[in-house]
Amino acid sequence: MKTFSQYKKFSLIALAIAGLTFTSCKKEVTPEPTATTGSVSVNFEHKWVDLSANFTLNMEYIHPVTNDTLNFTTMKYYISNLKLKKADGTWWTHPESYFLVDVENVSSTKLSMSNVPVGTYTELSYTFGVDSTRNVSGAQTGALSIAKDMFWSWNSGYIFLKAEGLSANSTTGSYSFHLGGFSGANSTLSTKNVVFNSVSTDLVVSSSHESEISMLVFPDKLWNTAGSINTTNTIHMPGSGAKTMANDFVNGIEFEHVHN
Amino acid sequence: MVFSLISTPIQTFQFKKLFSGMRFFCSMILVFVLFSCKKDNEIVPVDDWGFKKPSYFPEPHYTFENNAQTKLRFSLGRDLFYDSILSLDNSISCASCHAQTHGFSDHNVAFSAGVNGTLGVRNSPALSNLAWYPTFMWDGGIVNIETFSVGPITNPLEMHESILNVVGKLNANSAYRSKFKLAYDVDSITDQKMLQALAQYMAMLISDDSKYDKFKKGTYTFTADENAGYFLFQAKCASCHTEPLFTDFTYRNNGIDATFTDLGRGMITQNAADNGKFKVPSLRNVQLTYPYMHDGRYFTLSQVLDHYATGIQSSSTLDPSLASGIPLTADEKLKIIAFLRTLTDYTFMANPDLSEPIH
Repeated sequence: MKTFSQYKKFSLIALAIAGLTFTSCKKEVTPEPTATTGSVSVNFEHKWVDLSANFTLNMEYIHPVTNDTLNFTTMKYYISNLKLKKADGTWWTHPESYFLVDVENVSSTKLSMSNVPVGTYTELSYTFGVDSTRNVSGAQTGALSIAKDMFWSWNSGYIFLKAEGLSANSTTGSYSFHLGGFSGANSTLSTKNVVFNSVSTDLVVSSSHESEISMLVFPDKLWNTAGSINTTNTIHMPGSGAKTMANDFVNGIEFEHVHN
Repeated sequence: MVFSLISTPIQTFQFKKLFSGMRFFCSMILVFVLFSCKKDNEIVPVDDWGFKKPSYFPEPHYTFENNAQTKLRFSLGRDLFYDSILSLDNSISCASCHAQTHGFSDHNVAFSAGVNGTLGVRNSPALSNLAWYPTFMWDGGIVNIETFSVGPITNPLEMHESILNVVGKLNANSAYRSKFKLAYDVDSITDQKMLQALAQYMAMLISDDSKYDKFKKGTYTFTADENAGYFLFQAKCASCHTEPLFTDFTYRNNGIDATFTDLGRGMITQNAADNGKFKVPSLRNVQLTYPYMHDGRYFTLSQVLDHYATGIQSSSTLDPSLASGIPLTADEKLKIIAFLRTLTDYTFMANPDLSEPIH
């Protein structure tokens, strides 16, 4: 026979468990926007050879080194893992920081970061490509969705950069460079740091407006040392050729200025 | 692995036993506690269903991280595996070349027909125990079970379809939309969820009930020939075809060619030292998954053993362990084949939960 007090004891335990349930399942509540964070955008502006010529698709360009005539139909690449260095030397890391910069889609050339703590920042760090972890961690979403057609199906990994187009100098009349590779000797991943006060002022993040970091990208740099597309008009896998082109491209990205 | 798709967690609770005073009351609270925290339609594993590692298997490579296992997701993955919607002209499904009755390999052909009957260039591998695989394909070019299916879906010689189109076709299908909603709580089907659902099914292709497995579990005694074959196998084959998965997942040139028309692993690594190397295939269900080798050149196990005994061709990347072949007498070959036949898992190949769904 169970006594009333035994029931009471069990009920108390049950209530305690129920109470635990209600508190333990509480979802993380996004904090109300306060005046402690602001927004920063990194703008990638595309130029051909120098600042005088804007780079766009479906336009004929002459390459300054190879003299090839190039008419781009596709120019897109991954920038990831944005970080900002605070004046005290510590880094703020942008979460889920993956961007597919596509010249065809102007809005994609502006990389927006929100919830950046207000304050002064001295450096930007960014990665060309997609870190090795995300290359091997299964099906991803957002900018890394496989439906973006920037993933090698038969040799797992993201295509970090696609440059495709038409050229009379190519034996086939066209060119198609898919550059990537996240591991080993043929890795084309590279992380660059931009020190703001080298050419501009430090970045000041405030809650009242969006600060901007302007970067200049020169697609012509892809062929700085790779040679004419008369010799090579296609790269579709990681390798030394992809590495040369990717490195020249990334090393050609310039920091222009900070606009606070 | 036999499990039921019909019973729900609630049904498996034994109400009669629970329906007695306090125990019932406390149990109901326990049920409430278990169910109140569930996320993403996660089914609390109160019944017998789910991924289970056989005790003598190593730890699996795939752990359902970010893709928690549920019956709904598994069942959705099975629908997709058997649906030709994944191919360009809706003509072939995964199961077209990975038939359950053939240990999830093709129907004993060297090369499989893709859309428009285009033949592939490598033999369709048998699928089993994929959750333990660190890499996929003969050349190991694919490194995650979730991105595995992108290969065959997009290969022009196979399903020849784009991921974007597959997602479009699925979203245009109201039955799939509601299944994805139930399984993943998404209003719009994404490639990520499609690939994760397929991974849910593929990770459950567990072959662990062959005579060999029953021997390991102590419920079967090998015949004299099987036993002799097992010892021979351990001495002469197991260094590459490592138990209990019967592969060590390395890439090796097993001396079938002196020059290479297919570079195999070398195509992936771009390293000449890997040319002519292919992944050591698992031997599970090997009796039924002929023809053998990456190009399906041998139709019988005898031919395969003859090759290792006397047919090794030398080349710069030949596996050192095969430099002088594997000496085997005719009797030893028969015994090894007797053992290899113990790897046939009829439970796996008849498991209704892995079979084509009937809608």
